[in-house]
Amino acid sequence: MSPENGKSPVSWTAVTVCIVALFGLAAWVLWPGPVIATAAPPAQTTHPPTDLACRLCHGDSTGAVEFPSGESLPVQIDLAALDASAHGRQAETPLECRSCHQPADNFHVPHAPVTAADLRTFQIEQSANCTRCHQQPHLTIHPGPESEAPVVCTDCHGSHNVLKAETWRTGEGVATCANCHVERGVELNNADELKTLIQHGLFSSDRINNDFCLACHGLPGRTLTFANGDSKSSTIEAGALHDSVHGVNNSWQSLECTDCHENYTFPHEPVKAASLREYSLERYLLCARCHEDKYELTLDSTHGKALDEGNMEAAVCTDCHGAHDTPPPAEPRERISHTCQKCHSTIFDEYATSVHGEALLSESNPDVPTCIECHGVHNISDPTTNLFRIRSPQLCAGCHADGELMAEYEISTDVFETYVDDFHGTTVTLFEQQDPTVETNKAVCYDCHGVHNIHQPDDPQAGIKANLLATCQQCHPDASENFPDAWTSHFRPSLEHNPLVFLVDQFYVVFVPSVVGFLTLLVLTDVYRRLRVRAQAMRSKQ
Amino acid sequence: MSQPSSPTYPRFRVGARVEHAILMVSFTILALTGLPQKYVQAPISVALIDLLGGIEQVRIIHRAAAFLLVVGTVYHLLTSAYRFFVKHERMQMLPTFQDARDLWDTIRYNLGLIPRPPRMAKFNFGEKMEYWAVVWGTAIMVMTGFILWNPIASTAVLPGQVIPAALTAHGAEAVLAVLSILIWHFYNVHLKHFNPSMFSGRLPRHQMEEEHALELARLEAGGHPWPELSLPVLRRRRQIFIVLSVIVGGLMLAGLVWAFTFEETAITTIPRVTREIFVPLGTPAP
Repeated sequence: MSPENGKSPVSWTAVTVCIVALFGLAAWVLWPGPVIATAAPPAQTTHPPTDLACRLCHGDSTGAVEFPSGESLPVQIDLAALDASAHGRQAETPLECRSCHQPADNFHVPHAPVTAADLRTFQIEQSANCTRCHQQPHLTIHPGPESEAPVVCTDCHGSHNVLKAETWRTGEGVATCANCHVERGVELNNADELKTLIQHGLFSSDRINNDFCLACHGLPGRTLTFANGDSKSSTIEAGALHDSVHGVNNSWQSLECTDCHENYTFPHEPVKAASLREYSLERYLLCARCHEDKYELTLDSTHGKALDEGNMEAAVCTDCHGAHDTPPPAEPRERISHTCQKCHSTIFDEYATSVHGEALLSESNPDVPTCIECHGVHNISDPTTNLFRIRSPQLCAGCHADGELMAEYEISTDVFETYVDDFHGTTVTLFEQQDPTVETNKAVCYDCHGVHNIHQPDDPQAGIKANLLATCQQCHPDASENFPDAWTSHFRPSLEHNPLVFLVDQFYVVFVPSVVGFLTLLVLTDVYRRLRVRAQAMRSKQ
Repeated sequence: MSQPSSPTYPRFRVGARVEHAILMVSFTILALTGLPQKYVQAPISVALIDLLGGIEQVRIIHRAAAFLLVVGTVYHLLTSAYRFFVKHERMQMLPTFQDARDLWDTIRYNLGLIPRPPRMAKFNFGEKMEYWAVVWGTAIMVMTGFILWNPIASTAVLPGQVIPAALTAHGAEAVLAVLSILIWHFYNVHLKHFNPSMFSGRLPRHQMEEEHALELARLEAGGHPWPELSLPVLRRRRQIFIVLSVIVGGLMLAGLVWAFTFEETAITTIPRVTREIFVPLGTPAP
């Protein structure tokens, strides 16, 4: 911008140019408006154009070239971009302004008026300059200057901000293509040839990175349409992608698009799947390439089995984890249950009102079970089997027999053992040990406490204490009012809880040892006598 | 068995031996199927339950054996009534003050404090203790067993806590019974000497002398082992008894069957609830 930036040695020429430029600036300030033709410094009009002189004006100008067509082209050049471009000062072979802007005579100050009738003509004229150096322009597939609507060098490469060759291997280059062929929907007129060109020259596949794909797929409104009419957005939110567990914005190993979408040629092969779901079911298998252990777990899961049985809706990796926007699945913790909610919304609604669900959803409680603590994560088993039912008490015991965990909530850890000691629990435990796949009619935890809608026992409405008789009557339809007291409510008998049981027990605690002790003593006296008599007999024999 | 040189003396008639057999079989089965249910965590219990075909099977066997025990009890009541009302036998099982003295003397004799053992009648204190222990035990077990078997009916009249209390009593009483049999019964009739009288009906002389000296003296003095009645008197009483015992026994048996099939405690199968599980959300969750 300022002359000091110039590399030219300080000389009288430069000083003169500075003075000229200052005059020029003054002229601009005093006479704003169309400039090129009118801004006319009085002296040195035939001085050859130099970079310094060009940059002085074009680095910071609000002026524009006016075309007879009414179009205009701002004359300001982004000097930084120019310097960074393939032809800029930082390039291997920098060009001067006049290397392209020829013949030089036209660019004395004041410049000769622009002769092109409109902007496009001007662009086509100017891009002819490229061929003076670049004599074998590539991608001749684009219609040349002879056509009615030619595509010229500068359309893709830019004029002052010409991309460096390596940049063309990146998404930025592709974005240039996407600009016409995606955003403006210009059809590819010879895709097959393009493919060869792409594979052998431009964008060769081993250099593809995410920006490359996002050049097209980052544009809004991209859709993929299937034979059955389903459509799916193929626009990828770059932000969500980068924030995902596979994205660059986290500490895990980030993935490139091509890690999953490999062997993609451009233009892409049409999608073969007949429907969106079929497509998802094809694509999710890609997850298994890295997450094979998890994938194998899912094969035995209830979802995996449903899929095997032909249920296309059965959840696959991407249904729970997402495809491109895969967030950390357990952060925040309630995301887990919300994930299941996507398909099991009514069950989620029940869970949400339960003592566990409320704590999870309202305070992200780290101790209450989400769906997966009971159902498992990838190897989610069928919860309707006898096996699941019979093993379920141990599932509950996992937390409810954990003293440290329960102490925080002042919940008794006797619940599991008192259950096992009781008729129901004893039976279920025995079934579990003998053959857990056999059906039993004895109650497990959730038969009484509820499955997803578990409430605090003393909840005045939904708690089990308020509904004990009705709960018993589910299995004991003839039960009367006294019957629920037959259940010791997980209390170990004491004078306070179940005193009758306590007293009977205490009676036997004294009675059994007393009787047995008395009988044993009697037997011992008899043994003593017999031994004594035998000893006497032996002594008398001797 | 008994030494051929030693004479034997009549002790039990066939009826008593049959009663003992019923009790022995039912008691053993009840213990083998009951204790594993009380000590269900013990590996041997689990093994035994497995061996018997699972817990539900064990419970069925336990109840069948309970039925046998109660049938044996009814039979005992009827034969006791027969001996008392028809044959006018003394109730020799009733404990007396002499039993207490015999117990005391036995202890003193065992300890070497007195030179001679007490001379005891046909049923000594030890046998009476055991008999009444069986009576007490059976009564408790039948009562609590009925309550446990029929918890719905029981709680229709009794407070609910009676059920777990009955379970506690049933289990503790079982332990008491089994320990008593193992310590007292097994020692007295198997360990210290084999007492064949419950199988052969007769007891050898040396055992009679040791345990039933008075009865031995009575028999040797020409006493009849059991009271003799003139046939016409016996026949008349017997007719009345048969009629009464058929009625009472029939009623008791009917009551028994009624009690054993009293209630349907619980539904046999937990009903399957069908519900729609795939209910996708309209909009994805946050």
